[in-house]
Amino acid sequence: MQNQHFSFEEFKALFQDSFDSQEELLNEYNSFLQTFEQLDQTPVPDLPYREKAKIFRRSWQGRPQESPWILTLLNFFRQPALTFALGIVIGCILMSVVMNNPIDLTGTASADELLEIEHTRYSRTYKGKIINDFYSEFENPKIILEKAGETEPPQRTLHGTLDNGEIYVVWNL
Amino acid sequence: MNRQEPVSDEALIEAIQKGDKNAAACLYNRHIDRVHRICYRIVLDVSQVQDCVQEVWLKVFRNLDRFRCRESFVAWLNTVTANTAIDYYRKWIKQGNRLNRDKAHIRAVAAERTGDQQLDNALIHQRVYEALEEMTVNQRTALVLRYFEDMPMAEIARTLGCTKGTVRTHIRRSLLALRAKLAGKPI
Repeated sequence: MQNQHFSFEEFKALFQDSFDSQEELLNEYNSFLQTFEQLDQTPVPDLPYREKAKIFRRSWQGRPQESPWILTLLNFFRQPALTFALGIVIGCILMSVVMNNPIDLTGTASADELLEIEHTRYSRTYKGKIINDFYSEFENPKIILEKAGETEPPQRTLHGTLDNGEIYVVWNL
Repeated sequence: MNRQEPVSDEALIEAIQKGDKNAAACLYNRHIDRVHRICYRIVLDVSQVQDCVQEVWLKVFRNLDRFRCRESFVAWLNTVTANTAIDYYRKWIKQGNRLNRDKAHIRAVAAERTGDQQLDNALIHQRVYEALEEMTVNQRTALVLRYFEDMPMAEIARTLGCTKGTVRTHIRRSLLALRAKLAGKPI
């Protein structure tokens, strides 16, 4: 005699080490059959129809909601062949954009020049961030290097203002 | 939908993933009794079973998008149900609650189903539930899934996150406890 849920083979695998002989094991299995029969007689009460409906309603409402157009879009992209083709098209467009307008990665981000030099026939004017930082006590400082004539030695002067342009300073360097 | 040929779970799941409520109702009606049965036998407290079943279906509908049709839906559902019921039971007990087996209810169920041997069956029913209650929740789950739901050992091991050997030990201990209880012996 066998139980529909627990075969003798399964019982043997579970209890083999507890018994010395096959006969003892078989006797034990037969004694367990009554337990299995009793287990078969333990029904679970039915869930009332109204409760079933309530549980379904709440569970369905509790799922993450997506608007219909998102669902349509998602379903559209769920087709692998289409997604693959679309990937190739987007890739080609990107490549063409990059090849035609290469992005300039070497450009400086700052608008301020570090050092500007203006040339005239007998003078050179130096200004920019370096001069500003070096002579930070002056406003708009610039260094002018000039010669009175071609054979004259060059003379350096610092030009700038103080007190918001109230005082103009010329300093021989 | 064709009434003569039942629609497969996989087809229903595909429809549900597109937002089809009727397909969801169909899948739910097909499996609600199994979910309720497993929850009832693991949670054991009549007053908590419905909430536990509710939690299972919330998880199912929330995570159905992640379900891959390569695996069996029933196996996946059994795993979700068992794990949810175990967590629910542990949380419930941790909060200091005690099981309410509702003996009158159990007797009424047994009597309703049997007829002539009403009292005997009511007693058996009560003892089976007492034995289930005295086991650890993992032993109980292993027994319920193997014996009542015919789940293979390997799947039970995956569900409980243990080895097949441990599942065998759980089932062996639970069977011995059951036999002792039904024979009226102390466990």
